[in-house]
Amino acid sequence: MPRLIVYSLSILALLALVPPMVLARNRGEASATTGVHIIFDMDLQTKFKTQAVNPLFADGRSMRQPVAGTVARGDERLDTHYYNGVVAGQWATTLPAQATMSLKLLERGQARFNIYCSACHGYAGAGDGMVNQRALALVSNAQGPVDGTVWVTAKSLHDATVTVQPIGQLFNTITYGIRNMAGYGTQIPVEDRWAIAAYVKALQRSQDAAVQDVPPQMRAGLGL
Amino acid sequence: MSRFLFPRWIDSLVPVLAIAGAVVPLYAVFIVAYGFSPKSLEKGYQPIQPVPFSHARHAGELGLDCRYCHSTVERSWFAAVPSTQVCMNCHTQIRKGSPLLAPVKSSYESGMPIEWIKVHKLPDYAYFDHSAHVNRGVSCVECHGRVDQMAVVTRVKPLSMGWCLECHRDPIDRLRPVSKITTLSWDQNTQMTREEREGIARLYHITPSENCSTCHR
Ligand code: HEC
Ligand code: HEC
Ligand code: HEC
Ligand code: HEC
Ligand code: HEC
Ligand code: HEC
Repeated sequence: MPRLIVYSLSILALLALVPPMVLARNRGEASATTGVHIIFDMDLQTKFKTQAVNPLFADGRSMRQPVAGTVARGDERLDTHYYNGVVAGQWATTLPAQATMSLKLLERGQARFNIYCSACHGYAGAGDGMVNQRALALVSNAQGPVDGTVWVTAKSLHDATVTVQPIGQLFNTITYGIRNMAGYGTQIPVEDRWAIAAYVKALQRSQDAAVQDVPPQMRAGLGL
Repeated sequence: MSRFLFPRWIDSLVPVLAIAGAVVPLYAVFIVAYGFSPKSLEKGYQPIQPVPFSHARHAGELGLDCRYCHSTVERSWFAAVPSTQVCMNCHTQIRKGSPLLAPVKSSYESGMPIEWIKVHKLPDYAYFDHSAHVNRGVSCVECHGRVDQMAVVTRVKPLSMGWCLECHRDPIDRLRPVSKITTLSWDQNTQMTREEREGIARLYHITPSENCSTCHR
């Protein structure tokens, strides 16, 4: 066999090893480009899914915002007790008719409190959450606050000014925020906000509870 | 004119050609199966986002729960990416002058959304539902990996049909109590016995479907 053919065949065989090696290297490795789509099938259809971009509108949103000054049917929110925590111009002192006090409601409130509030207020509501600690550290940086950070300590929910508040006022604070705290009305559905308000009340009660508050049959388990 | 005769060494090419004839198709099959598989093409997608938002910092170090931002994940098929307002719950105050946050600030002022690039994307003909999974004890970590350790979100699973079915056929080892779905560091295989996981499957009545119409509707 002439040398030329032997050489070219072996070079070909060696070259054939390159694509698998390149593939093996790239496989699963992070890259900023999408995989090549060879056959598109119906991958991209002329419909818009949630939060997709729609170039037809100036703001690029496919999810349209309601026209200013309009209210969707069934969304008029005239029940001020349920939506604002206000009854006859006063803070509501009871749960609205849509919610009933139960262990389930408090457990729901606890889970939601731990998701949305504990970051700043801490799991026990003492105002020592991770974000609060981090923000205070940024403010008290030796070279001055980092990137202009300002921070008002997330108030302890056991502060005397908070413990006296009726449940409706707590609900209103969660919904619309207060001073330096943003409102959570868009992030948390209304029934969960009531559950959180009820849980905050329970949490406050738990902090300066007396032995008499614990049902007798439970006391032994707590060493009381 | 003398007739053309193949030289004698051609004979020695015959085994070479036979081997090549057998190897080349195998080679082509391998390249297609290995190289075009979603594990090669789809995994590892890590687009450059308009804001260098770090899950490692927010979800990892600060311990924010996934649902603080992806608040619809338990209620809807879609896990909403948070609006600018959610960032501004904290960033009206925290590091408000940082150049990294400039796009967030201008989005807040103009009302134009931040155009996050979608990392996990199924073809439009496939139907997926977050609420069906996270309310039945399937944690984010099974499908998105350790997001709480990622500075940049990366697609770590192929999200192919074969991958979906692998779990739908035998989900027991991937189930955990619903209260733990966003605790990504928690591992059901070391913290629970198989019997306990089977108990969870019974508790939530889990019978994942393999019918085509479940995901193609
Ligand atoms: C991003 C941090 C942050 C989060 C999250 C947060 N808060 Fe606050 N909260 C604050 C700060 C800061 C204040 C103090 C505001 C001030 O005094 O200017 C505050 C104050 C309060 C007060 C006292 C209001 C008063 O009348 O003085 C209540 C009650 C409260 N928060 C409840 C909640 C509840 C319930 C949640 C969960 C839904 C929550 N907060 C989530 C930061 C936060
Ligand atoms: C619950 C409070 C909170 C929320 C909500 C939040 N962040 Fe942050 N963010 C922080 C804290 C605290 C830091 C850390 C500052 C530090 O450690 O230096 C930070 C840091 C950052 C940084 C780095 C800034 C720098 O200069 O290093 C970016 C960028 C950022 N966040 C973007 C976002 C975006 C985008 C969102 C909305 C999706 C968001 N954040 C939501 C609290 C929050
Ligand atoms: C402070 C808000 C915040 C928190 C907390 C948060 N995320 Fe995100 N997440 C975002 C934002 C903003 C994006 C879009 C930008 C990006 O992809 O990095 C995102 C993107 C993602 C994506 C990619 C979405 C896509 O485009 O396919 C996944 C998956 C994800 N988050 C999972 C999680 C998980 C799991 C947790 C809990 C460990 C979590 N996130 C906590 C804000 C947050
Ligand atoms: C069973 C697998 C699975 C689980 C569990 C899961 N995801 Fe996803 N996630 C997906 C898939 C698949 C997509 C792509 C959906 C699409 O493109 O239609 C996705 C997309 C996303 C997105 C982008 C927006 C969207 O909905 O398309 C975010 C954000 C996200 N997931 C966050 C989360 C969080 C947070 C959790 C845990 C609470 C979670 N996911 C649990 C599979 C999963
Ligand atoms: C880690 C395990 C796991 C993975 C991966 C997974 N699933 Fe599931 N899926 C489940 C479980 C568990 C259920 C709940 C079944 C039940 O309720 O009986 C479910 C239910 C569903 C449902 C709802 C069925 C109904 O009755 O409404 C759909 C749709 C679905 N899966 C689609 C997908 C798709 C599409 C993928 C791939 C992108 C996927 N799943 C990946 C575990 C998984
Ligand atoms: C658990 C969910 C699930 C079930 C059940 C399911 N599929 Fe799929 N299927 C998917 C997903 C997700 C994709 C898209 C994969 C990708 O990213 O390419 C897909 C893709 C496909 C494709 C396109 C493949 C391609 O690349 O062009 C076909 C065809 C298909 N499925 C047929 C079926 C048939 C037939 C059945 C019933 C036997 C079925 N599927 C059941 C989730 C499912």
